[in-house]
Amino acid sequence: MDAIVTKNITKSYGKHQVLKGINLNIKRGEIFTLLGENGAGKSTLISILTTLSRPDSGNAFVLGKSIKSAADNIRENISVNSQFVTLDNEFTGYQNMKLVAQLLDIKDVDKRIKEVSQRLNLSSFINRKIQTYSGGMKRRLDIGVSILGNTNILFLDEPTTGVDPKNRLEIWKLIRELRNEGKTVFLTTQYLDEADKLSDMIAFIRNGKISLQGTPEQLKSQTNNLHRITVSTKDLDLAEKVLSENKIEFKKVSDTFEIQDSILQTALKQLINANIVILEINPVKQSLEDVFLNATKGEQQNENN
Amino acid sequence: MKTIKQLSVLTSRVIKQNLTDTDTIITTFIMPIAMLLFFVYIIGGNIAINGKTGSSGSYLAYSLPGFILMAMAMGSAFAALRINNDKNKGFMTRLLSLPIKRWAILTSYILASVIFMLISAVVIFLLTMLLGYRPTTTGANFGLFILVIVLFALMITLISLPVSLTAKNYNSSNSISYLLIFMLFLSSAFVPIAGMADQIRGFATYQPMTPITETIKALLNGSFSFNNLNTTLAIVWIVGLIIIFGILSLRRYKQIFVNN
Ligand SMILES: Nc1ncnc2c1ncn2[C@@H]1O[C@H](COP(=O)(O)OP(=O)(O)OP(=O)(O)O)[C@@H](O)[C@H]1O
Ligand SMILES: [Mg+2]
Repeated sequence: MDAIVTKNITKSYGKHQVLKGINLNIKRGEIFTLLGENGAGKSTLISILTTLSRPDSGNAFVLGKSIKSAADNIRENISVNSQFVTLDNEFTGYQNMKLVAQLLDIKDVDKRIKEVSQRLNLSSFINRKIQTYSGGMKRRLDIGVSILGNTNILFLDEPTTGVDPKNRLEIWKLIRELRNEGKTVFLTTQYLDEADKLSDMIAFIRNGKISLQGTPEQLKSQTNNLHRITVSTKDLDLAEKVLSENKIEFKKVSDTFEIQDSILQTALKQLINANIVILEINPVKQSLEDVFLNATKGEQQNENN
Repeated sequence: MKTIKQLSVLTSRVIKQNLTDTDTIITTFIMPIAMLLFFVYIIGGNIAINGKTGSSGSYLAYSLPGFILMAMAMGSAFAALRINNDKNKGFMTRLLSLPIKRWAILTSYILASVIFMLISAVVIFLLTMLLGYRPTTTGANFGLFILVIVLFALMITLISLPVSLTAKNYNSSNSISYLLIFMLFLSSAFVPIAGMADQIRGFATYQPMTPITETIKALLNGSFSFNNLNTTLAIVWIVGLIIIFGILSLRRYKQIFVNN
């Protein structure tokens, strides 16, 4: 049984249809990352899957239980870390944790709080009132509160936004550890490098639909592969002329020419025929950023047509 | 069993916050007490009640229900404020995401509000005893007095709930509570209606605060009877408002996790 299955989920706010039929299958024990621009509907989907909101149509199953008919049961098995912190400002960090631990009926409350605060480096400020926290401190405490329950499925909506680099690495480590303990992590992030490094599976949400999905490697190899040709400086203008005359598509990046693999051979032949000195040929590494940009660019073109 | 424990954890959280916050203490305890002392010892002697020349003692007995209700209404402002804070600053999202029955979360806010108001009612009542007031009534009537106070607490909690669950800003979240206090001044709580201007008197006679304070007065001085217009009006108002605002509160609460 998959951890999370969604079937054609739709959701509108007023006239604005945010989700237009979301279909996902998320396996148990994987880190699943949902990527999308601001306002794409990532948080909306999380709030539906965590029973904080209801879909207009469609359904979703968390560990086989329907979000519509078994919401109470689902909340027993999930933890949520919302995009915006969910702390009681009048309490200290410790009091916040204790309150939630009591609500979760955790046996040895103090022991559990200690474990979690060590994992997230909270000890130095846990006894201060939330009002006195910085943004990153609130964020980390809020994550701490979310993992108190030791549930099988975790939803983390932009857990590292506003967190400094050192603590971001700690959170990455934590997320990997959680996965290694067999938990399923549903993640959203603004950082593509984070998605690339952490995810087992990535999905892009765009215009209310899942527009692209795969492992980081699959996604990166999907886009066209490029090679970068460096010619000697004196031949730069000639090379440009030769490529243009032979209708070979290229992109000039400073002193090099980026050319798609499919036409690389033709391009090289023409350059050599013109006696141009080729200094280097390098593959261009695709980043997730390129995949993301390509995906959004492609769709925008489709929309315009 | 688990739900009962959660209910008590959540309820005591809000009560604890109310009782340890200076602002809350000043507004719900110190202010009504200061006003009570001012009214009773400075103004009270000048207010003729039922044609008899006033005295501080007689005014204390007259205005006691008004001050109890006033302290409770002030208390409702802080209950409203804390609910509004939880809603707007995210903590309610945390609660709604935990394995807690949804009705238990709403109930905990209502319970906390009612209990907090009862604490302020007891404080005011004990203070008046200290100042020499003694109720002159039967045990049964005193029991009914407690019931009316509890229902009144529930009523004003529910009246302020839809607004405190909706207001974007906490300054407007407790507006209803101040409206309730204003209504008390437009009733027989602090001065007899007989001396009010004609245009106001009609409103003052039938608006909820007058029959409720009159019923409480009657319960405390032994003149209570079910066969009385004020008693009937008080019951109708209290039960009616609890039902209407109970439904509105429930509806508003559900929207938070359905439409969001
Ligand atoms: N309660 C609401 N009422 C009305 N519109 C809403 C509400 N919540 C979200 N929206 C709208 O729905 C769309 C999706 O919002 P959502 O928060 O899901 O985006 P997101 O992908 O999480 O964006 P971000 O990366 O900025 O967090 C946005 O256009 C937003 O304005
Ligand atoms: Mg979001």
